[in-house]
Amino acid sequence: MSITIDSSRFGTLEIASEDVIEFPTGLIGLGGTSYALVAPSEDGAFCWLHSLEDADLALPVANPWHFFSDYAVDLSDEAAKPITADPADVAVWVTVRAGAELSDFYANLRAPILVAEGKGHQIINEAADAPVRAPLFPAAVAAAA
Amino acid sequence: MLLITRRVGEKIMVGDDVVVHVMEIVGNTVRVGIEAPRSTPVYREEIWHAVRDENRAAAHAAPVEFPSPAKA
Repeated sequence: MSITIDSSRFGTLEIASEDVIEFPTGLIGLGGTSYALVAPSEDGAFCWLHSLEDADLALPVANPWHFFSDYAVDLSDEAAKPITADPADVAVWVTVRAGAELSDFYANLRAPILVAEGKGHQIINEAADAPVRAPLFPAAVAAAA
Repeated sequence: MLLITRRVGEKIMVGDDVVVHVMEIVGNTVRVGIEAPRSTPVYREEIWHAVRDENRAAAHAAPVEFPSPAKA
């Protein structure tokens, strides 16, 4: 079984049903509850989280450890409740606000997306150093300044 | 907007399954406890707004081509 979506960004995409990620409480401010990870970059640093319900809705996500080697996710007991998988089996992605220049790329370290067992949750990271908008390429920011 | 006056230790029901407890009041700070079902996430308002704005910006402003981290 697979789902076909006519993505406005990527054209026709075939999504295997086992690759569908259900977000029981959705993504804050965005519609829908069914998404899939598509079009990974060659080095695995980036991927797109594409809505299966809205052909126009896709957001870029990054593997946080590609950019922030000491990144940590600290969940409150309340936020951790819906995540029943072994922490080692949970994939972590952070949303990316992309800009025209490298210095305009930001990652949201405060609200990572945790994916396990076909379920996704965007949770609030309680770790101290987890800004909503962290420069993805600090060297580019320093060079631009 | 509904305005309700409560004392420490009193509670407010929102629908049938959300309970707001007034735990402690110190100066102009009130500490509340919220019991909600798993399907109802609870956020501090300013964080909810910030995350909503980032999600929308991520969905709307992104190019298809990604830079390689090595370039930085």
